[in-house]
Amino acid sequence: MQLNPSEISDLIKKKIENFDVNVEAHTEGTVVSVTDGIVRVHGLSEAMQGEMLEFPGNSYGMALNLERDSVGVVMLGAYQHITEGDTVKCTGKILEVPVGEALLGRVVDGLGNAIDGKGAIETTETSPVEKIAPGVIARQSVDQPVQLGLKSIDSMIPVGRGQRELIIGDRQTGKTAIAIDAIINQKGTGVKCIYVAIGQKRSSIANVVRKLEEHDALAHTIIVVASASESAALQFIAPYTGCSMGEFFRDKGEDALIIYDDLTKQAWAYRQMSLLLRRPPGREAYPGDVFYIHSRLLERASRINAEEVEKLTGGKVKGKTGSLTALPIIETQGGDVSAFVPTNVISITDGQIFLESDLFNSGIRPAVNAGLSVSRVGGAAQTKIIKKLGGGIRLDLAQYRELAAFAQFASDLDESTRKQIERGQRVTELMKQDQYSPMSVAEMGVSLHAANAGFLDDLEVSKVRDFEAALQSYMKSEEADLMQKINDTGDYSDEIKKGIQSAIEAFIKTSSW
Amino acid sequence: MSELSTLARPYAEAVFKRALEGNSAAEWSDMLAFLSVVIQDQEMSVIIANPKVSQQQLTQLLLDICQDQLKEEGVNLVKLLVQNDRIILTPQISALYESYKAEHEGYVDVDVMSAYALSKEEQKKFASKLEKKLNKKVHITTSIDKSLIGGFLAKAGDTVIDGSIKGQLQQLAKKL
Repeated sequence: MQLNPSEISDLIKKKIENFDVNVEAHTEGTVVSVTDGIVRVHGLSEAMQGEMLEFPGNSYGMALNLERDSVGVVMLGAYQHITEGDTVKCTGKILEVPVGEALLGRVVDGLGNAIDGKGAIETTETSPVEKIAPGVIARQSVDQPVQLGLKSIDSMIPVGRGQRELIIGDRQTGKTAIAIDAIINQKGTGVKCIYVAIGQKRSSIANVVRKLEEHDALAHTIIVVASASESAALQFIAPYTGCSMGEFFRDKGEDALIIYDDLTKQAWAYRQMSLLLRRPPGREAYPGDVFYIHSRLLERASRINAEEVEKLTGGKVKGKTGSLTALPIIETQGGDVSAFVPTNVISITDGQIFLESDLFNSGIRPAVNAGLSVSRVGGAAQTKIIKKLGGGIRLDLAQYRELAAFAQFASDLDESTRKQIERGQRVTELMKQDQYSPMSVAEMGVSLHAANAGFLDDLEVSKVRDFEAALQSYMKSEEADLMQKINDTGDYSDEIKKGIQSAIEAFIKTSSW
Repeated sequence: MSELSTLARPYAEAVFKRALEGNSAAEWSDMLAFLSVVIQDQEMSVIIANPKVSQQQLTQLLLDICQDQLKEEGVNLVKLLVQNDRIILTPQISALYESYKAEHEGYVDVDVMSAYALSKEEQKKFASKLEKKLNKKVHITTSIDKSLIGGFLAKAGDTVIDGSIKGQLQQLAKKL
């Protein structure tokens, strides 16, 4: 067996020295029955709702149902060793998990224990998993962007820091891909990321971790895992755990981005627990408070003002706002967004990115349906250049959608209609983007400008992406100063506009695509 | 277990109220205790569970066993319980009745376990300390449990005060 660093005899000696013996008074109960991870405990008259209860063999449970003579407890983790008649102790605390910088780059389970084999996590701070969201006075409106690095999203459905933007779509439509690209694009921006995997296969989680490592994005990311093989209670808790870890950064005046992948499975886990606890089933057999589990979770994603940060840090951090941006993911069945959980989460969030399998299969990736996707607050946070250029793109695509049905009669159409259809086809083509290749603001600006200024109109549709790729590499090598300037300021002044225009004209003369 | 006490609660409440009205709390206490012992007897539980034994036979049998132990109201309770098919609840009724009585009279039963026998004086001291802590009169019953190694363990209902060496060792183990 390997010696772990906390097993050095000096350390143990010190711990024993500092150990203060106190006579503890606690409440005890006895296990009456154990069924499917639900334990009924007799006694425990002083147990609180949500309290951690200590079982023999160093295992814990959470008190969920407080009844007249008994308490319904959900076990966190293994319960096979619990037998009838075991004593259960109250701890007087609700579940707490470790938080802090040390978690960055690590993979942890729903209780904050490391599961990546890199040793124990050295943190001193812990935080309860369930907290009340910041109040009205503590908040500030969303006015800074989170760049996801995807042209189609950043230009049409912008996300701001502190916003909750739902990613919704059927299975295999690239929901996770968007989330991973978003994490990769936060490299070097100071935005900390938390990826919460709920009810997923361990193999796909391992894939995500590997991809993030490959793109050097794991260092600013915490991965919270409650895989499909873990108990329903842990799958239910994991999002709250991740949220507490994100709030740590928000509360000290930094920005964080959290991805819940996916909340449908959390609702399933909660449904399982509730049915086993014999709570009455409602629509689709979900319990009555299934709306509340998501609303209280997503309400915690917020932007807080500088005064609140100052108060929370005890005056150490001044003049900085903090934010926690949430990208919850919901999986629909057969494109049905009117099912119970999808409608709930759509109504809670500040907009949704709607992905469609038809688009995905016809090669439009990311498969964003621009008509149904909205961002209710992100517009205020967009950088100027993307905002100005994105408006044109949105309009082009909207007009194209109306006329797309007539596209096959192209020869019989009048000039302006034909032009709109052709523009739409090219813009749709331009919105395609490879996975794991997020773009900077300047790169996006150049591509969007090319579309708006009509440079794509003379190209064949199939050449659009080659043109874009060549243009980007030209800009990178020949116009690095201009690109740097756009990235720094985010402006779309006349000077920059002219700069881009003349650069693209110069590029076209090389006709190197 | 929990379901049983839910069923037993109305009976216990009724008996307790009747006992207060009739000023016969101690009497009822004895009756219920005796009845529970009878019901918990192994042969008796076989008879109760036997569907061939009619309610009348069972009532008669119980009354014959108890004879003078039951007052008139006690006899009525037995008849009622047999009639409602709830006679097996008697131990729970008795336990609940005792807890109501204790609450009413303002005392708690405390089980004190210690590694070594406590002297009379120690018991008295202990009782007065616990009375202060729990804000109630205490009735102490003591027992010896060598596995505690040293110190004591006091149980008052759900509340446990653990001052034993064993408990402290467990705390230390958790800290390490």
